[in-house]
Amino acid sequence: MQSDPNFSPMNPALTGTPPEAAIRRLRASRRRQWSTVLTVVLVLLGFLVSGAAGAVVYFWPVLMAGYQQTGQVSDIKAAASAVAQSPAAVPPAGAAFTVLLLGSDDDSKFPADHVLTQSMILVRVDPSARQVTMLSIPRDLWVPLSTGTTEKIDGAYSHGKAAAALATVEKNFHVHIDDYAWIGLKGLIKLIDQVGGVDLVVSNPVLDDFYPSDIDVRNPYGYTRVAVLPGAQHLDGMHALQYVRSRHNDLQSDFGRSYRQQQVLLALRAKASGLNPTDLPDLVSAVSGEFKTSMGLSRLRELLGIAQQVDFSRIRQIILTPPYTSSGQIPGHSALNPHWDLILPLVRQYFP
Amino acid sequence: MMRKLALVLAIALMPAFGFGVYTYLGSLKTKAVRATAVKPVETKPKFALPGTMIVIQDGGLYKLSGGTFTELGKAGSWSQVAVSPDHTKLVAVSQNSLASELSLLGSDGHVIKQLTHDRVAILDANHWAFYPRISLDGKTVYYSFDQPKRGYQVDLAVWSMPLNGPQAQARRMTTPNDHTGGDVTPIPLSGGALLYVKYTLGATGIASQIWLQSRPLTAGTALTDLASDCNQPSLSPDGKQLAMICTSGKQSGRLVVAPFDGRRLGPMRTVLAGGLNAAPAWAPDGSGLAYLAPTGAGGHFQLWWLPFAVPAVSASPSGSATAPAGRLAPKQVTTDVDLTPTTPLVWY
Repeated sequence: MQSDPNFSPMNPALTGTPPEAAIRRLRASRRRQWSTVLTVVLVLLGFLVSGAAGAVVYFWPVLMAGYQQTGQVSDIKAAASAVAQSPAAVPPAGAAFTVLLLGSDDDSKFPADHVLTQSMILVRVDPSARQVTMLSIPRDLWVPLSTGTTEKIDGAYSHGKAAAALATVEKNFHVHIDDYAWIGLKGLIKLIDQVGGVDLVVSNPVLDDFYPSDIDVRNPYGYTRVAVLPGAQHLDGMHALQYVRSRHNDLQSDFGRSYRQQQVLLALRAKASGLNPTDLPDLVSAVSGEFKTSMGLSRLRELLGIAQQVDFSRIRQIILTPPYTSSGQIPGHSALNPHWDLILPLVRQYFP
Repeated sequence: MMRKLALVLAIALMPAFGFGVYTYLGSLKTKAVRATAVKPVETKPKFALPGTMIVIQDGGLYKLSGGTFTELGKAGSWSQVAVSPDHTKLVAVSQNSLASELSLLGSDGHVIKQLTHDRVAILDANHWAFYPRISLDGKTVYYSFDQPKRGYQVDLAVWSMPLNGPQAQARRMTTPNDHTGGDVTPIPLSGGALLYVKYTLGATGIASQIWLQSRPLTAGTALTDLASDCNQPSLSPDGKQLAMICTSGKQSGRLVVAPFDGRRLGPMRTVLAGGLNAAPAWAPDGSGLAYLAPTGAGGHFQLWWLPFAVPAVSASPSGSATAPAGRLAPKQVTTDVDLTPTTPLVWY
């Protein structure tokens, strides 16, 4: 009978089965079908959740860093109030923005977060024009700090952390800064090592008999000798740091060092352009505790995207050598006097 | 029963799937970041350059001959090697964190004697010795040495000392510009003249020039202009052509060849543009140039060979370039090693 093409459970004349039983069987069959579908859906959902969990665990360092180390907008707000301006709204995606890069000693000579900034670089990024401008601010520039005293500009961070450094630069250079990023020396070493080192042309023999020996040592006041030989080479984090930090035997003093710092930044940019998002967990783990920024993850993602697109030849590098600055002797200090009549038009032109 | 079994199996597989996603993401990481160099064994694919070359990797000295590398002596902290004219002896630099020394080695890499003794207890009384080069008569070694020093000033000057004599007999040959890094890469010429690289502060920063000096401690003359930023000179076996790297202050180095009549350079011609090119060296038969350049994002420097179909530049008596290049494309000789690019290649 089951093979009869006219067979239908709804036809009692043919089956001899009461309709209620047929309906029950039909309902049971449908329940089994739904149950199967539900089970399959739940199993698929289980796999989806499990896969997502795997991805979350993988990117956990990035998520934690995103929460702890990025988006530190309180510094931006504090800086804005220090220079009596309201914090500007976050520039829309694709609009040009200015970032202050800060590089610090973070050795045991200083209390935590009261360090000098050995490197201050203003970076203007214009995503639509794919143009980047870098302006190095000499660490010895003698300026009024936002915290009230007049000192070398590298002391601003030590008095009031990133907010004071931002406010001091904004106030003196008449520039609006959208974001900042701070990295410690150890963070820079680890970051460069994590991207596999940097490739660059060392401009001249960099020799220093009094290079600070202050990283991972018992006595942070010691010195060591360094020799970075000239020519094209591949530098690991420690040697790259020696290259950007040494200044005692440079005829251009801090200006030479500023040039080398920009050079290593560009080499890092070149390396970063070869990375992909799955490299991020290792990167953020490497610089954990050594990196802070007011930028949110979306801005960082935008910045990384631009790093891959910007043409090296279109990166404008500015160093405030004479006549923008001149050496001066302030009692007890050897400092650089800024010539604002020359500096400010330059800043207005490239950091509108 | 089968359904329950399938369900249990699926539930058991879920954590494995999560782990699989984690592992898969890890496998997508950029390979170049983790690229490690291998010990030099053979050129790949096997490629025999003429003659014998000595290169450095990770403090080890390697001889390359017939496409096969042989390690010379014990691995250490070797860099920058020179060979005697009869190829029986080497002078190499060994460096620690505070000083570097020159040592005389046999051709198999065993240390015969230490030539300099620069390691002392007082930090700034230590010295660097780099870029050794043995004179054409094999009796003198020329090198860069950071003496005299004053306070923060540490600049390399070219010095010379008898290969068989004590360091006390060493004599300074050049006067470096203060706080520039100094004078490096000496090449002794016949008649006591000296080619080397001098660093000088120019309009856009410190840059290099190929410098020629006829007698010790004389002013000498620049063979290249400061704007070209030329360094790492290599003299052809017949002494009539000079290869060098010129960066023009940029982050890439052109491989440049110019005729040389012993007093001045003829027209300079770029035979290889762009790239982080380093350490050019002439083939012993003058048939081309070897150099080092990184490949891929790993930044490891590999050996390259740039053959010339005809002599790259023929130096006419007037010193002008007369022949076009007629060169072939560069050929990569090694693929997975990491040769030290601050060490000039030695090729004989």
